[in-house]
Amino acid sequence: MTVVKILGLIVWLVVVPFCMGLVFLPLFKERFKSVGTVFVAGYILFFTALELVGIPIVLFTVYNGLTIFTRWFTPLILVLSLAGAGIALWEKKRGYGLSFAGFDRFKESSPEEKIVMLLFLGLVGFQVYMSFTRASFDGDDAYYGVQAVIAQQVDTLYRVNPYTGRSAPLDVRHALALFPVWEAYLGKMCGIHATIIAHSVVPLVLIPLTYVLYFQIGKALFGGKRKQLPMFMMLIALWQLFGNISIYTTETFFLTRTWQGKSFAGNFVIPAVLWIFLCLFASGEKEDTIVPKGMKNQGKWLGRAVHTNIGEKGLWILLACLNLAGGASSSLAILLSCMMTAGFGFLFSVRERKFGILTKAGFSCVLGGIYVLLYLLLTHGIFVP
Amino acid sequence: MFGIFMESFVILKLYTGLKLLFLLSALAWGYLLVTEKNKSIRTLLVYAPVIVVALFLFPVSRKGFVAIGLDGETYYRILWTIPFGIIFVYGICRLFEQHRRIGLLAGTVLTIVCGSYVYKGAYISKAENLYHIPDTVVEICDLIGPEDAKSRVSAVMPEELIHFVRQYDASINMPYGREMLVNAWDYYNAVYEAMEKPRVVDMEELLKATREEYCQYIVMSKERETNQDPEKCGLLLLEEIDGYLIYEDPVTVQIVNEWQNYYEDDEG
Repeated sequence: MTVVKILGLIVWLVVVPFCMGLVFLPLFKERFKSVGTVFVAGYILFFTALELVGIPIVLFTVYNGLTIFTRWFTPLILVLSLAGAGIALWEKKRGYGLSFAGFDRFKESSPEEKIVMLLFLGLVGFQVYMSFTRASFDGDDAYYGVQAVIAQQVDTLYRVNPYTGRSAPLDVRHALALFPVWEAYLGKMCGIHATIIAHSVVPLVLIPLTYVLYFQIGKALFGGKRKQLPMFMMLIALWQLFGNISIYTTETFFLTRTWQGKSFAGNFVIPAVLWIFLCLFASGEKEDTIVPKGMKNQGKWLGRAVHTNIGEKGLWILLACLNLAGGASSSLAILLSCMMTAGFGFLFSVRERKFGILTKAGFSCVLGGIYVLLYLLLTHGIFVP
Repeated sequence: MFGIFMESFVILKLYTGLKLLFLLSALAWGYLLVTEKNKSIRTLLVYAPVIVVALFLFPVSRKGFVAIGLDGETYYRILWTIPFGIIFVYGICRLFEQHRRIGLLAGTVLTIVCGSYVYKGAYISKAENLYHIPDTVVEICDLIGPEDAKSRVSAVMPEELIHFVRQYDASINMPYGREMLVNAWDYYNAVYEAMEKPRVVDMEELLKATREEYCQYIVMSKERETNQDPEKCGLLLLEEIDGYLIYEDPVTVQIVNEWQNYYEDDEG
């Protein structure tokens, strides 16, 4: 029985999101077709689907919320995963399949780089181990954790006071952030109590997922200078471990409240916006690979971005998805990610004197903007479902 | 306006904890300001953080934040958009580009010395089970939880157990929960007043309040003083679990059973 549950967790936490990420393959350029990028993209798409399906159900369904959600969400993500797998096979036949170059690069790296990378993996392993064996008390669990348990055991979404158990009007302040619903859904699909999912299972995936994202950020930052990547990753892992300088930092949230949406907001959603913009504005590889003819040895070319990725549709679409997916973690996250998108878009459009960048940034905020509008209508009592 | 600015400034100080780790980020930011030539990275890691801090401290931002219905207590989360860790680590990687071993050692030592280990602290403990809630709570809930999945019971719990009960079993209702423990919220609850406020619990007061809320169970620490023996007041001691006495109130149990039978007959 335990084996079946573990297999279920692997399917719903790893296989399905990864296969969903494969949907983006035709939209990505060769350099973004890595396993890590696909995994990150898969989770972004997963949470986008969660919000798209979940929000109407939360707003308009009083009873059997999780059952109805499961009935709609499961086929959707399965179709997307199968589509992703099919697309990956088709792309492979065309010779543009998933790239495993990162693994080859690791094999070819110097012993020193390998040691540092192993030290980094050791730090991640330690954090995962601690998340499983240590209980971290947080008062907010009495709200968010219990919402997941209510969804699983009572089959009602955000219509019961989690503190007392009494029926309550829809909690509009939190009703659009469906992270607890995701945990309840996982619990339902795998036959595991939602609190076990939140405290013992989710960190085993979200901690590595965050480092996969940081690895992508490192790749974007260093581009051709990959030798610095192991050092970057190890110091980032240490920073997370020693970043508990106050109760407010993302690092504190990352390892003591991993299962809460707000931690996901600070440690995945917001860094993901930064990552996408780093990718879009081609911050790295030009040094070794894509220096335009006639620009070599001019010294200043580094400052002139070679915008090979601005037109990268896949990244803009991913950003648009992220600007909705963030809402699963918290309503504030979506506001912050949209503001970052608009702000970065503005800065880059001014720098490049290209209004099109701001337009694309604007379009990528449409879904997030609708979410924010809905949140405002709900919290100000203008729209009462 | 100046008051709001100062409040935001205090939030910024609290966020950084006034610890040296923040200073490391600031130094790395300064280094990148001077040396970083890649304009994309400059935009994202050098200019954007300054704009965020400026907007964060700008009083109108805070007013707008609260005006759109967001919780003012979460205003600090705007600072999450500044990647302090990435700025420091990227800065040190660039600084020691040609001397990676020294850089790695320096970065490791600085992070450990200037930072604060996340797993130290009173709120981290060895997990007693996969739920990561105390075993005591699990045992108490197993004892009083309803056998029928559709039924509910109501129980008064001592403060220290309140957070965990419904994380384990959502079919156990409570007359009050965590909302009574947050001073800033300042709620009133008659059962809480009778159960937690007095040094010595007045059993008559408590039973009057719990019966109005139809609580079938009362869980009290063995150390809790009462003006009368609860059993002499009509409560039934079910069990003692890890220093907690679990009482059943037969009067409320009978009332609740009558209701349930009535509704079952009605449905039948």
